[in-house]
Amino acid sequence: MVLPAERPRPADDVDPATLAIRATGLVKRFGSGPHAVDAVRDLSVSVRQGERVAYIGPNGAGKSTSIKILTGILRPTQGTATVLGFVPWQDRRRLAARTGTLFGQRSQLWFELTPRQSFRMLAAIYGLDRAREQRRVAELGELLDAADLFDAPVRTLSLGQRMRCELAACLLHEPEILFLDEPTIGLDLLAKRRLRELLVELNEAAGTTVFLTSHDVADIEHVAERVVVIDHGRVVYDDDVPTLRRSLLATKLVDVGLGGPAPAIVLDGVREVARDDALLRLSVDTTRTSIRSVLDVVLDRCDVVDISVVDPPLEQVIAEIFAAEQA
Amino acid sequence: MSAPARGAAVPVAPPAPGLTPLLVLRRLAVPAATASRRVLADRGGLVTSVVFFLLVSVVLSALWRAAAGPSGTVVGYTAAELTWYAFAAEAAVCTIDLRLIERIGEDISSGSVAVEMLRPLPVVAVRLAVESGRALGRLVALVVVGSGAAWLLAGPPPDALHGLLALVSLALGVVVNVAAQHVVASAAFRLRDVRATWFLYQKTVFILGGMLLPLEVLPGALRTLALWCPFMAMAYAPARLATGQGTALLLLVQAGWLVVLVAAAAFVFARGQRRLEVVGG
Amino acid sequence: MSQTLAVVRAAFTDATARPAAFWTQVGAMVANDLAMIAFWILFFHQVRSVRGWDADRVFLLFAILATAAGIVLGFLSNARRIPELVETGSLDEALSLPMSPLRYLLVRRVDTVNVGDVVFGVVLFLVTGHPTPQRAALFVGGVVVAATLLTAFLVTLGSVVFFTGRGEPGALGMHAILLLAGYPVDIFTGAAKGLLYTVVPAAFVAAVPARIVDAPSWRDVALMLLATAVFVVLARTAFGLGLRRYTSGSAWGRG
Repeated sequence: MVLPAERPRPADDVDPATLAIRATGLVKRFGSGPHAVDAVRDLSVSVRQGERVAYIGPNGAGKSTSIKILTGILRPTQGTATVLGFVPWQDRRRLAARTGTLFGQRSQLWFELTPRQSFRMLAAIYGLDRAREQRRVAELGELLDAADLFDAPVRTLSLGQRMRCELAACLLHEPEILFLDEPTIGLDLLAKRRLRELLVELNEAAGTTVFLTSHDVADIEHVAERVVVIDHGRVVYDDDVPTLRRSLLATKLVDVGLGGPAPAIVLDGVREVARDDALLRLSVDTTRTSIRSVLDVVLDRCDVVDISVVDPPLEQVIAEIFAAEQA
Repeated sequence: MSAPARGAAVPVAPPAPGLTPLLVLRRLAVPAATASRRVLADRGGLVTSVVFFLLVSVVLSALWRAAAGPSGTVVGYTAAELTWYAFAAEAAVCTIDLRLIERIGEDISSGSVAVEMLRPLPVVAVRLAVESGRALGRLVALVVVGSGAAWLLAGPPPDALHGLLALVSLALGVVVNVAAQHVVASAAFRLRDVRATWFLYQKTVFILGGMLLPLEVLPGALRTLALWCPFMAMAYAPARLATGQGTALLLLVQAGWLVVLVAAAAFVFARGQRRLEVVGG
Repeated sequence: MSQTLAVVRAAFTDATARPAAFWTQVGAMVANDLAMIAFWILFFHQVRSVRGWDADRVFLLFAILATAAGIVLGFLSNARRIPELVETGSLDEALSLPMSPLRYLLVRRVDTVNVGDVVFGVVLFLVTGHPTPQRAALFVGGVVVAATLLTAFLVTLGSVVFFTGRGEPGALGMHAILLLAGYPVDIFTGAAKGLLYTVVPAAFVAAVPARIVDAPSWRDVALMLLATAVFVVLARTAFGLGLRRYTSGSAWGRG
């Protein structure tokens, strides 16, 4: 495996002045003595202004911890970092005025209030005057297609509706960087897609830097331009999404529910991953054979009860990244 | 033997035909003793109860000592006697879990009582045994620490024989209190929220039960009322004996209330049980 | 300041919308206060006065305590929830905003039930406190300073959780100070009394302000302001140092 320091990364050759995030050698240790755990160890990462970065890794890799360090919520045990020129844990308040954070598992909106009431409070906290607040809420209502949600108590909203309002809440003050921690978790397919489109739109229209963690391969594919993979608190992979797409994201899984015995499917780039009486799972390299031709063959030869095409789980993508790095 | 929460899974022997009251009592001793041991083993919880008990007792006894002055009396009690009164009265009440009544209510309305109905012994008997066991276990700690503190503040217990009677009376008072809370909590068979009832009950024990003040402080009619209420068996009786006054008659009165309240608890539980069976738990 | 006001306004809206067993709890609060009043009436029925404290002055003490504690537990109700907020990682919300996290948290939640205590305390003062303009002004001033001190004490103790991971000192400390503040401080002597003016500053929560209303003295006022200032500094320091050790609820292992 190539250590992060030795490997050129997309943001390394850029003028530091245009960097939104620059972190070097971050370490975060929880606990002390023999029970100490390093959630982040020697993490270095840089992000250019206006980039859309997916920050991914297995559970417990240190993703949330690093986001919390970069937003000033946690103080690192070692290392340096600047975000928009501020050291997050020293200038937390000034930094917070210029960044937006959205934690998928936590809410910025107050449950019993309507989003509009929460916006009013947040606007005062961020120092927006009344006119700007109203203009911004109107803009965001339109952009997020959520204006009709702003007057219902948050507890009555669905998760997808709530997330759109959460996004509005953290965009209210026009942040330069948006930190999102598992923003699509728990959303249905449609809501996920909507949120992804919004993030891209926002980035393209306002130049907002987007830094998101996710478990969902599709988030990476559809939102990010660049992927940073961390494991055990270190960066283990850092490259463009197009590169990744050409290699790893090209793999899809085809699950076939069977009504009877099925013959082996022999096609270029197709591998049988699992098989029992009722299910056949194929892994398809779409750069070699299209999903369409696989489906044609399967429908032709098997007694198909049910069929679905899914992304491989993130864990598998990461495992393949490791395998590729080592080769 | 280690049982999970609130003695629900305390193993009890299978039903024998013709359970005599004595036999039932012997069987109940096992879950009660287990509950006692578990309370004493929970260090953190025990320390919190002891500290809180000490705090309240020290404050109240300081008030009464200041009121009596070094050589005077209040309603016939000297400063030293009032100190022992405060510690005994507080021990009797503080030993009982603050949330007991809510817990019984929750168990009843959530239907876990229905599960307990499957046991070979009467539900109410097992419950009373377990809850009394817990309270008595904690009482041991409070009595040890409380006697030490009262001794330091006011000298030795006013009278040794009365002191022994007070110990018996404390135990009786605790069981009476537990039984009474089961009667009150049975309101949960009908009401969804027992908290309001609980506050009323608690404050009644404070004043009419003699927890905050010796009942002799109360004016005529109110005092008579208090002496005829079961609450006096919960705090006043042991506390008065701890001052070296009162007679063994107090124990008899407590025993009488115990019989009445256990019977009442059995009655309301049996009624509630029938309802549960009808509604299907 | 406008930040704080905005949060206060949101907290009130939130509190009125939050469903709660409101009347049960108000009933409990009133029952509790009335039981204490009944106790003192019965007590002073037998005892004329205790070390300079008669029924009137004890009612004054109780009125100040109910009002000050009602303000803290009602309007600044997170003051006693610091351990809980730290353990569950709920400080994240405050820390992602460009304002003082402690100020945000303190005003973020209103418990309407305890607001009932404020009403009770004020009514008790109006009925039994022989209010004159001067006494009323001293009452209000005393309550405000006492509430500040109580808040600072709760925040200080609650911040212990950052260093030890245990919330019990906060809970026990709150019960202790509220209990101790409810009795005339002069029933204690020697070291115990000294503690109530220092480590557990219960004397300043009700007894000293009651004395100030009855018999104003610069010495008492100065002592009270000094104690409050000390605890405010302690609270800010403890919370500030604690924040550096904040783990955001994820001791470890969570992504």
